[in-house]
Amino acid sequence: MSIIYVLIPIAILLVCIAVFVFFWAVKSNQFDDLERHGSSILFDDDLPKHKQNSTPPTPEKHE
Amino acid sequence: MEIKCFHCGLAVPAGSHYQTKVLNKPQHFCCPGCLAVAESIVENGLEDYYHYRSEFAEKASENDEDLLEKLSVFDDDLILSEFVGKNNSTHEIQLTISGINCAACGWLIEKQLSKLKGIMQVAVNVSARRATVSWDSDLLQLSAILKHIENIGYHAKPFQPEQHEASYKQENQAFLKKLGLAGLMTMQVMMLNIGVFFDLFGHIDEQTKQYFNWVSLLLTTPVLLYSASGFYSGALRALKAKSVNMDVPVSLALSLTYLSSVLATFQNTGQTYFESLSMFVFLLLISRYLEHGARYKASQLSANMLEYMPTMANLVENKQVHPVLAKSLKLEQLVLVKAGDLVPIDGTIVEGQGQLDEALLTGEFELVSKTKGEKVYAGTVNQLGTLTIKVTSTLKHSVLNQINQLQSQALANKPKIAGIADRFSQYFVAVVLLTSAITYLVWHQISPEEALWHMIAVLIATCPCALGLATPSALSCAVAHLNGKGILLKRADALEQISNVDWVAFDKTGTLTEGKFSLSQCVNNIDKRDEHWLQVAACLEQYSEHPIAKAFEDIQCPYPVVNFSTVIGKGIQGTINNIQYKLGSELYMEQEIPKPLQICNVFLQANNRVLCGFALADKIRPSTTAILETFKDKKVTLISGDAEPMVYAIAKQLHIPNWLSKHTPEQKLGVIKKAQKDGYTVLMVGDGINDAPVLAQANVSVTLGVSSDLAKSSADVVLLDNSLDKINVVFNIAKRCKNKIKQNIGWAIGYNILVLPLAVSGVLTPWMAVIGMSLSSLIVVINSIRLLK
Repeated sequence: MSIIYVLIPIAILLVCIAVFVFFWAVKSNQFDDLERHGSSILFDDDLPKHKQNSTPPTPEKHE
Repeated sequence: MEIKCFHCGLAVPAGSHYQTKVLNKPQHFCCPGCLAVAESIVENGLEDYYHYRSEFAEKASENDEDLLEKLSVFDDDLILSEFVGKNNSTHEIQLTISGINCAACGWLIEKQLSKLKGIMQVAVNVSARRATVSWDSDLLQLSAILKHIENIGYHAKPFQPEQHEASYKQENQAFLKKLGLAGLMTMQVMMLNIGVFFDLFGHIDEQTKQYFNWVSLLLTTPVLLYSASGFYSGALRALKAKSVNMDVPVSLALSLTYLSSVLATFQNTGQTYFESLSMFVFLLLISRYLEHGARYKASQLSANMLEYMPTMANLVENKQVHPVLAKSLKLEQLVLVKAGDLVPIDGTIVEGQGQLDEALLTGEFELVSKTKGEKVYAGTVNQLGTLTIKVTSTLKHSVLNQINQLQSQALANKPKIAGIADRFSQYFVAVVLLTSAITYLVWHQISPEEALWHMIAVLIATCPCALGLATPSALSCAVAHLNGKGILLKRADALEQISNVDWVAFDKTGTLTEGKFSLSQCVNNIDKRDEHWLQVAACLEQYSEHPIAKAFEDIQCPYPVVNFSTVIGKGIQGTINNIQYKLGSELYMEQEIPKPLQICNVFLQANNRVLCGFALADKIRPSTTAILETFKDKKVTLISGDAEPMVYAIAKQLHIPNWLSKHTPEQKLGVIKKAQKDGYTVLMVGDGINDAPVLAQANVSVTLGVSSDLAKSSADVVLLDNSLDKINVVFNIAKRCKNKIKQNIGWAIGYNILVLPLAVSGVLTPWMAVIGMSLSSLIVVINSIRLLK
């Protein structure tokens, strides 16, 4: 059982990192819009080229 | 089968042929506006929007040619400096965007803007309906950005968040941090202690237990010190004000449990309750966070409605005209007001004559003619003619600002009604504190070492967590429900008050009526068809800016008009097919009006003969009669700034027994205050700037989506689609919501009464109390969620 004397401090360390990351995320406004980003992954940045006149994809500057 | 517009989902009118290819299929559209938007989306390769959107888009407005010109106002440096954050050539601005209704919209706007050269960053917040845009001002102008957003069917406006919103945001983030920390720590402490509780590992030796206690102490301390800090300060505030609130027993339970657990850890004897502590804090924070979140969102949405548009004035100096901000104007300066401009400041006319829309002061949309020497007021609109005015009072002392001040005073004096839960909790908390004290004393006699734990169990078991959730959870579900129906609720507690309403006041123009001229009758004096004369009138009116012209907007005009001119205050004239027509009021006609035409107020004349008369009137909204019907059992009053005969006519037509005419904003306010003094709960429905103070004063106030900004900022409820019968929906939801709150409170209290004897008698240990409390809170939340349906 003495392994827990090592594992638990490591767990605490990980939790501290998690708390830190969470605080950072809140501070950088990542929780401001909870409705939208859930579906962000659905959107393709470029459509399949089935139209002749579709504009070529431009480099994105985004967030 | 009816065809629906692919873009906005409205029915496509029969016989229209607006089509384009979207997602490889030809699609129909209802109007050129929607078609243009869809084409622009397809052209930019953003068709995916149609794939993933969950709601139809808003109907696009027809392409407005003056748009670019209107938007170019925003390129003025003076205006830019008011709301743009600058960093060298990088500008940053917050825009409120109307028309966003699903996640796909956010994506569409971001993609559309990121194609523009010079855009550095775009972030669209869908739930707040806002975007933050930063751009390089050397490459791009703000008006181009706004135009680009208009192209895909959204309307963007720069705005400045309200002051209190910034603090809301900060609080919201602080809540999230506290909640996250408590959640993470609770998980850890739980993990350690579940094993110990249920003896999962067979025999746990004393040393390991001791170790677990120390680790739990370490993990719980930040929760107690940081996450729970809000409860302590709340309790202190209440105690300082010599009252008690729910924070008092919470703080007491928290600090006692913590201290005794720490003591137990140090002395290595007795039970620790760190896991119960952190879970307790976590659950309480969830309820507080929900409540705060609902308020935050309401404040964001209502701030969006206030268009930020600094008033500009054309200052005349040394015969040169240049634009300045209205608030920088000084006494005796000369200002030029062109047709269609907002009068920027109070002053007297020194040159020219015009027709002014003084809806601000009277609520009436009919124009008032003014000439040299007469006073004009800031906020009114000069519809016709060019005026030069001399400033007689600065913007700070203008009539507009006085109304503004009246509104904020009224808002501050608004009668505050404590919610059901607030009133209840006072007594409840007192009883809880008393019971726990008694428990402690009694147990102290029986077995002193257990006394503390039994007292803590009482404090936790009776924790008003479920009670605290009862109202906010029900209210936020009701608000969400109303939002989905096109009703914006700005102040959630208005729902608690609306069911007590027994005195209702309506404004006339723009509220009960549509607030614009519409054609009610056409009386023909000659044997040609009515349609012909209507078309002639429509052709002439299409060049006019007068509100009367709007009544003819929907009629087709097949004839070209030449030699068009306007005679201010009388009418218009023009030549069609070599016949000179005159269209205007009785004063403008050269002949006497024939008898059958005398019911009309606009006449058409040609070749020295009055051909036709049109009766134009302010139409009553279709939803008006229905809503008045449902208010039968309440005292209904019509309060208007309009002249007596008009108000009387409407009151008679709608069978409203009490009506008041010619009331200034101050007088209206007096009427409402008196009703409140007589013990009535007042509901006010109004739309104009002159209604703003009254809306602020009334217990509950309703305004329409088309209303003035000032009215929207002071009203509690905004009916976005302008149909008055939605008030009934609000009443219904309010009733259901009140029932839900009562059920919730009933459950919370009932549960607490049930467990109290168990806790007092010592059957319930603190960890059981915590689980029971969370289950009870969960039931309350689930009950509230049923309001969403």
